[in-house]
Amino acid sequence: MSNEQAEFATFFRASWDPCLRAVLAVVGSPQLAEDQVAEAFARAWASWRKVRRHPAPRAWVVRTALNTGVSWWRRRGHELPLAGHDQTAHDDPWTGLDGSLLMALRRLPRRQREVIALRIFLDLDTDMIAGQLGIEPGTVRMHLSRGVAALRRELTPTNNHGG
Amino acid sequence: MNAGDHLSDTDVLTAVRDSLSRTSLTGPPDVAAILARGRARRRRRVIPTATGTLAVAAGATLAVTALTPGSHDPAHRAAHAATRQPTVQLAAWTVTRLANGNITVSVRDLGDPAGLQQTLRSDGVPASVTFASEVNPACSPYPGGTPRHGIPRLLKHVFPEPYRHLAMQHQPRTARPVHGRPPVQRPSPTSSIVVIDPAALPGNAGVQLGVSPGGGALLLPQVVYASRRCTGS
Repeated sequence: MSNEQAEFATFFRASWDPCLRAVLAVVGSPQLAEDQVAEAFARAWASWRKVRRHPAPRAWVVRTALNTGVSWWRRRGHELPLAGHDQTAHDDPWTGLDGSLLMALRRLPRRQREVIALRIFLDLDTDMIAGQLGIEPGTVRMHLSRGVAALRRELTPTNNHGG
Repeated sequence: MNAGDHLSDTDVLTAVRDSLSRTSLTGPPDVAAILARGRARRRRRVIPTATGTLAVAAGATLAVTALTPGSHDPAHRAAHAATRQPTVQLAAWTVTRLANGNITVSVRDLGDPAGLQQTLRSDGVPASVTFASEVNPACSPYPGGTPRHGIPRLLKHVFPEPYRHLAMQHQPRTARPVHGRPPVQRPSPTSSIVVIDPAALPGNAGVQLGVSPGGGALLLPQVVYASRRCTGS
């Protein structure tokens, strides 16, 4: 394995999980997310000399994964049923997630999910998110604010003793 | 007052991150497969219409005996295949049956997916062909008929091109004889080719082809369950 390949392999192994979770938060299907992230990493290797100099290579991968149309067939077959919210807990591939939080996340507009995913999994600041998504920083702040507000409403403690 | 109102933005985002982070996901695929896939993409860059698509068969090395869409004549096609006179025509799209029974679909500028779909069906291939943005909702993936971390065996058998070559190392640009076959002429560099082996299709399965928005490429051929509403039979 060449030095370049070893460098990419290190990046790939370290970045797979956060990139996958970020894409998963947006697309809502683990299978679809895996497909798109795998394709994005392949594209990253195909353009490695450019990507390795990118200020945020993981963001490049996530953006590419979200833009890729590699699994548009699967998107129809898996993402839409997930959006129906009618699966039982044990059917849900996101087992372990807070159900209400998951539903709230799914209900957010895609752009809000993208902004939140880039913020929480890649730790990107507003300007970097804006650059990745091709939108204005103010728009990023708006999406983030609205998305967080919607999610906050779902985070009501179940044991609210009040006072 | 909602107790959640006490949460700061950071608290909310942290909760979401922690919740999503508890999800058990599969580990990364073999990096060698990703490297091979990336190399395949590099090779395809020489094909302008292949940009952004997975399934363009840049490595296709099969003969293309082209027919224009309006002259889909099996006898004519068989004669061409039998004589094995590879030709390259600049038709918008062509469907060719090779001597080994495989069917080659070559696309340069496909504006009528329905026409290609009808041609394939008339050739005995249960098929759904649509633009990528208009995928037939009646179609559902056949087990092993969709690429995931790797290329399932079924896909490699049903679509010898492009899937057989996706995980291969760099191939020479010049086509070489395979198993004693004569050298074949590569298709037009702006063509997208998918080869279908109908004999490899399970009895209750068909093929699904997507057409890029510009009509210049075939996207991610897959195996789907055959049904009247999806593949016509």
